[in-house]
Amino acid sequence: MPLWFLRGLRRGVVTTHYPARPDPSAAGLPTPPAFSPLHLDRRIADHLCGICPSRALRREDDMLIFDVGCCTACGRCRDAAPEAVTVSGEFELAATGRASLVKHIPLFREAQA
Amino acid sequence: MSALTWCYVAAAGWALAAALALLGGRLAGLRACCLVSALAGAAAVAGGVSSLLWGNSRIASLGGAVVVGTAQLQATSLAGVFIALLGLIAVALALYAPRYHRASPGSALYLAVCNLAMLAALAVFTAGNVVTFLVAWESVALLCYLLILRHPRRTEVASGAFWFLALSETGFVFIVAAFVILATKAHSMQFAVIAAHAHLVTPGWRDAAFLLALTGFGFKAGLVPLHVWLPEAHPVAPADGSAFLSGLVVKLGAYGIVLFAFRLLPPAPAWVGVLTMAAGAVTAALGILYALNERDLKRFLAFSTIENTGIIVVSFGAAMVFGAYGQRELWAFLLLAGLYHVANHGTYKTLLFLEAGVVERTTGTRDMDRLGGLIHRLPRSTVITLAGTLGIAALPPLNGFVSEWLIFQGLFQGFRTGSHLVGILIVLAAATLGLTGGLAIYAFVRGFGIPFLGMPRTRQAASATEHGQPVAGPGLLAAACVALAVGAPLVLLALSRAVRTVTGVPLRPVLLPGNLTVIPAHTAFSAFSPTYLAVFLVAVMVVPLLIYLAGRPRADSVTVPVWDGGMVAFKPRMQYSAMTFSAPTRVTFDAVYRPRVSLRRASDDPAGRSGPVHYETEVTPLFQRYLYRPVIRAVEWVADAVQPLQSGDVNLYLFYVFVVILLAYLLGAL
Amino acid sequence: MTSDRSPQPSAAGQQRAEDPGISMAAAGGDQERMVAGRLRDTIASQFGRSLHIRTLDTGSCAVCEQEIRLLAAPHYDLHRLGFFFTPAPRHADLLMVTGPAIRAFDVAARKAYDAIPGPKIVIATGACALGGVYPADAFTHSAVDAIFPVDVWVPGCPPSPLALLQGLLVAVNRLAEKSAAMSFIADDPAEGVPG
Repeated sequence: MPLWFLRGLRRGVVTTHYPARPDPSAAGLPTPPAFSPLHLDRRIADHLCGICPSRALRREDDMLIFDVGCCTACGRCRDAAPEAVTVSGEFELAATGRASLVKHIPLFREAQA
Repeated sequence: MSALTWCYVAAAGWALAAALALLGGRLAGLRACCLVSALAGAAAVAGGVSSLLWGNSRIASLGGAVVVGTAQLQATSLAGVFIALLGLIAVALALYAPRYHRASPGSALYLAVCNLAMLAALAVFTAGNVVTFLVAWESVALLCYLLILRHPRRTEVASGAFWFLALSETGFVFIVAAFVILATKAHSMQFAVIAAHAHLVTPGWRDAAFLLALTGFGFKAGLVPLHVWLPEAHPVAPADGSAFLSGLVVKLGAYGIVLFAFRLLPPAPAWVGVLTMAAGAVTAALGILYALNERDLKRFLAFSTIENTGIIVVSFGAAMVFGAYGQRELWAFLLLAGLYHVANHGTYKTLLFLEAGVVERTTGTRDMDRLGGLIHRLPRSTVITLAGTLGIAALPPLNGFVSEWLIFQGLFQGFRTGSHLVGILIVLAAATLGLTGGLAIYAFVRGFGIPFLGMPRTRQAASATEHGQPVAGPGLLAAACVALAVGAPLVLLALSRAVRTVTGVPLRPVLLPGNLTVIPAHTAFSAFSPTYLAVFLVAVMVVPLLIYLAGRPRADSVTVPVWDGGMVAFKPRMQYSAMTFSAPTRVTFDAVYRPRVSLRRASDDPAGRSGPVHYETEVTPLFQRYLYRPVIRAVEWVADAVQPLQSGDVNLYLFYVFVVILLAYLLGAL
Repeated sequence: MTSDRSPQPSAAGQQRAEDPGISMAAAGGDQERMVAGRLRDTIASQFGRSLHIRTLDTGSCAVCEQEIRLLAAPHYDLHRLGFFFTPAPRHADLLMVTGPAIRAFDVAARKAYDAIPGPKIVIATGACALGGVYPADAFTHSAVDAIFPVDVWVPGCPPSPLALLQGLLVAVNRLAEKSAAMSFIADDPAEGVPG
């Protein structure tokens, strides 16, 4: 009897139950950012658009256009503006329409002012 | 008309055809010769079939020359299959010749020789005594030598023809020895008398005679290691000459073995049968293994002939084994199966050689690696070749399957011998035949797929055309293949009558005419119906197709190119080549092939930028190197040693004469 | 896992108007998407429990391929969901595309797509295939829908096997699409996006 078979029996079933139950390993996955409009203004938005290596961020007037599809979850935007950008924790991102992956985030400070 | 009369008609026809070819005008003579030859062939078919159905004909004695005695002819049942096959091949070749041969003096001579060779072969099959047989045998050998030598100025032709003649003559020595033993023991040259007195021959002489006959006829039939002339002679002969050689001349060897085993000699002891069976099994396996290594179409077919000879000899050998153990039904049944395979192989091998000739004529090459895509250029030839290929690969529903199935059914009943050892040996023979059957399918997928399917690999293959190529001859043989399969019950009926004449065993359970089912020898063992199988296979293909065509959804279908792995430009050179297709066998069977690989590169640059790489692989020709070359060298050594006797000095020669006369007087005085 | 969402026929496809390499996919994009939606329902009903996937790498860095390969490993085990990998496009129902659709691969990619008999689904996985990372230029089309119509987009760099599984299940209508409802706005308790 090969050893790996016995080891496997001892370890038991390791298969995830996803999608019936959530998978605990999902907690550590790198995920796209979530933006906080309260802390965003035009200057910060332009800075974030500049440092995104994947062209996922674009500013149009007072709207930050975030293309989730282009995001590589590298974390540079979060490192540049930690109070404006947090980790979203979302990884179930499949979309049937490309347009539904383009998110519009208002720049609150500008909207306020 | 009795069978012998038909044979006379055929003989006269072929003689007339030969005369017409020589004496007639260029084109008219050719056409007339072929017409008469075809009619003679038809007469031979009639003769063969009638001797199968109505038993041995009378014995006719001709001539009365003092030295050699009378010539005796008899159309026996045993020879019936062979005579009918000869006739069928003759008709096919006669239909093929007008379009294949240009009208020229060389062709006229060639056709005359061809017809005379058929006449001589007929004489071999109808020979009733030893001298007739031997004279006819030698005539066939010499005429076939001339047949191969159609273009004598080319070196490879001369070499191939010489191999044929040399081995033919060597075999002839053995055959003469075998006949001499029997004729001396029986004090007569006639086959009938020899057969009647056979039981008086002591076992030692009897077995020696058979083994000598097996070797001698094995040279002609192509038993390993006596097969060497086949791959040398077949490629260099014209297509219909190769067809005649493989289709019929090789069967002369089989006929000789059958003559000795079943007619002239009483049932031999088991070890003789086992030896024959083993020789056949080894021949079959080695034949197909070497066939897989050939790029030349005709050499490939020649090795396939060797394989089929092996199958036929296994059948006859196993029959002898069963005969030795008193299993008379199986003894007769395996003889029947072997004769059936003789007829089948003659049909489809002739067809394949004729088609190889067409391919060579239209593309200018026999090399499989220069062909490809011929299905688009030569559609009719492809269909006909496919029929022959299915036959020779023993795929249902064609004739090869029927005869090989019968042989297997006979071999599987090896347990009935009662001896464990012999039973195991028979099973081993069956296993070897199974291996050869599998390898034969592999070989003929390669032999049909590489030249005919895919894309043309050269410009010659791309520009081949079917216009003006012979179709009727091979087409007739393809129809015969189908007829031999679907009409298997009738064929078996005729063969079982012949076998009953030879062996005295009725084999009535062979056929249930009511439901066209075949039962090999013993009812409880197995049964199948070739006719129903053929009908069923066609139905299984056609009926679902019709259902699909009638009920398919009306959705639009899209036609896209064949999936080629996404290549931007698929080049013909990216296809399988014949040698890469058979590369797995060279790895698996390297103990048999002993391949020698030589690889030369300009430098050892690992990125491969060193320049051209020269790769050569060669299969060791075992028999030529380790058997024939030593023998040839020994003969040359002896000849060199004896050379001083021929000094050219007349005085020395006179001294020889004096010494011999002195010795003669001394011996006379004693 | 419940099919309580209605398939969204996408609006006129998010085409990159500035991309010079637009091909037939853009021209029929709208119509194809609606047809794709209907086809997905057909596929879901017929193949939803047994789907054969053919992967196509149009020039990726192969990390997406590593994640795809992990799907067959014991932890994720896509076979338990009825999905199988096949190398032959003729046997495939679904084409999983990675990579930024480099132009040198156009012919092969189109041939692979054509070789899959309909009905078929195309999933574009990874940021490259969705148009990120590499801009469209002389070497790449950037988004793979420049070569053939795409039914499901799976973001990620690389998308984890869980994300791939979700994408596959969305493709065969066994899971509802979630990303449309996500706003990616952090302090917005009404949307339920975790901060």
